Amino acid sequence: MQVHWRQSLMSYTFLAPALILLAVFTFYPLLYGAYLGFTEYSGARFANHLPPQWVGLKNFETVLGDPLFRTALANSVKYLLVVPALQLASLAVAVLVAKNIPGIALFRAAYYVPVITSVSLAAVMWEWVFNREGTLNWLLRALHLTTPEAAFGWLNSEQWAFWAVMLVTFWRGFGYYMVLYLAGLQAIPEELEEAAILDGASAWQRFWRVTVPLMRPTILLCTLLSTIAALRVLEEVLVLTNGGPLNSTYTALMYVYAKAFQGFDFDYGVASAAGLVVALVALLLSALNFRFFHREEQA
Amino acid sequence: MKRSVKALTLGLALVASTASAQTTVTFWTWYLSPKFDGYIKDTISAFEKANPGIKVQWFDKQDSMVQDFIASVNLGSAPDVVNLNIDETQKAAQNGFLTAVNSLTSPATLRSTFYPQSLSNFTSGANTYAYPWYGWLNEGVLLYNPELFKKAGLTRAPRTASEMLTYAKTIKDKTGAYAWVPALKDPNTASFLGYFYAEGLPVTDASGKAAFNTPAHASLLAQYVTLYRGGYVPEDAVRREAFQLATELYAQNRVAMIIGGPQALTRIKDTNPGLYAKTVVTQAPLGKAGVQTGGSMGLVIPKASRNPQAAAKLAAFFTNNANQLAFARVVPVVPTTKGAQTSTQFKTTGSDPVARATALVGASGRLINPGYRAPGNSDDLYKNFNDNIEAALLGKKTAQQALADAATYWNANLKK
Repeated sequence: MQVHWRQSLMSYTFLAPALILLAVFTFYPLLYGAYLGFTEYSGARFANHLPPQWVGLKNFETVLGDPLFRTALANSVKYLLVVPALQLASLAVAVLVAKNIPGIALFRAAYYVPVITSVSLAAVMWEWVFNREGTLNWLLRALHLTTPEAAFGWLNSEQWAFWAVMLVTFWRGFGYYMVLYLAGLQAIPEELEEAAILDGASAWQRFWRVTVPLMRPTILLCTLLSTIAALRVLEEVLVLTNGGPLNSTYTALMYVYAKAFQGFDFDYGVASAAGLVVALVALLLSALNFRFFHREEQA
Repeated sequence: MKRSVKALTLGLALVASTASAQTTVTFWTWYLSPKFDGYIKDTISAFEKANPGIKVQWFDKQDSMVQDFIASVNLGSAPDVVNLNIDETQKAAQNGFLTAVNSLTSPATLRSTFYPQSLSNFTSGANTYAYPWYGWLNEGVLLYNPELFKKAGLTRAPRTASEMLTYAKTIKDKTGAYAWVPALKDPNTASFLGYFYAEGLPVTDASGKAAFNTPAHASLLAQYVTLYRGGYVPEDAVRREAFQLATELYAQNRVAMIIGGPQALTRIKDTNPGLYAKTVVTQAPLGKAGVQTGGSMGLVIPKASRNPQAAAKLAAFFTNNANQLAFARVVPVVPTTKGAQTSTQFKTTGSDPVARATALVGASGRLINPGYRAPGNSDDLYKNFNDNIEAALLGKKTAQQALADAATYWNANLKK
């Protein structure tokens, strides 16, 4: 009993620095942010050193009654379409680059470059791709899919700006998930693959019957991470379209950002309430993800 | 021995008293470093020499200025002097972040130093909240590419705002280049309101309610909608800041004119020196009201400053006539001090485009007026206004409907 107590004490001592950091920098801001969602805490109160004032659900009524927030939330949910594309593509490429062939390290590194590229730099580059005289229109003209007269700036189009920004998210996230899948693939024992080959399984069968089932935990992790990231998309939208045209790329996090950080007219109460709504949606989607993968596992 | 101990004690006491009397003033500028480090450091040195009891700690803030300001108030480490523009000063003042400068410097001194309009730009209610600093005029000068003008068959610059609209079609049709980039919906502001002001159309009524939904306003917006939809304005003008876009496209020979301050020329000089040398500088056309629009920076004293008196001294020093004129010699800005009007600095001109442009606008600080005052809750109101302008430009609403919707939102969400 005494040994057990000592072991526990030792474990918590080792854990303490990380727990303290987590408490200070994660749990406290999280709980305080959630509390602010139920208070009135505008710039005027803040400047006059008045504490937040409890207003119950008023901020949630404001947020849910605001057509701009509803548009923003709908756009964020629509943005989830990037998740399956991103997961399928990164898993497929991870399978390809998992092979130990000469020069493959170069490919792996190249796919990871967008992850570490600053979003401002990426925005400049993608502007060149998407503008009226940009690379994309040039390519479409070269393929005879459009004419110079029909060319338009993709980021200025209400129909296309959303998909253009989503492509940038895809490009930025692809390498990150590929590396996670690569790590998952390398943890699969080679004997299983070899056994499947001996049993006469085709490459496609080996992928679906051996690789995918063993990769399920990694797929769940990556899907969860990318679902949450898609709901929280902000940077690329901010620098490429600032939410336009006609709010077609305006996302829920942009709404939170505008209410909390854009100027002296900030309203931390409304911003926190909007943030909580987004968090609730993320929680629901995470629960769905868990349920889906758990059911698959049981099947 | 006793005497030397006494002398040492006295010396130490003197040093200690000097050290305790020393006040440190924290000064934040906005986007001025590294380009103007020399000017700022020299001015700080001159101030410290003139005020031996005050030490200045200078930081240059960039994109995160407002957020850093708010965070510093929360942390109890607010700066003492902060460089904000007219719009942000109004917003900060409305929310109670600032000390009225007329409580630190006598109103008579302020009135004798600065142009009345410069003070008015930073006035909210009965108080003035900033020492006006350097400014610019939106219609200060017109710069044009003579080769594109020649190609378009034009022999002179447009003289009125309506002539500008005609030029837009002529230049695009004959050269393929855009005539200019109007500020249709610059981010974080409501730039199109400036066009109403320039045409003598009211933006708000005396109570601050929207007054921009009359047929005359709609007719003006409709003219720009026609230009935009006809392809006579770069389509990026709805997404990017007009000035940035204009300087970028002008340097590529894709825009024939820039309306703005001489500061555009310094950028062109860097990116296309050949075109810079050819650029013609002249008076910019004005709208029917014959007024200029423009903006300026100011130096504010946060309410949370621990040294408001010393801060006021520093702000007054930086914004005095001599120092504003000195800054205008470093960069083509427009001083907001009355003394600049009679300065010989802007009477001399040479062949250099920047010098010519500076001579044209340098003494015109009295005309600096944004044309509208940031309303309470301006971030939301501006966003909605810009969304409606965009809806009109993209053909989703008529000009009249867009302005009516913007006015309805404005009046429903205006905070007093």
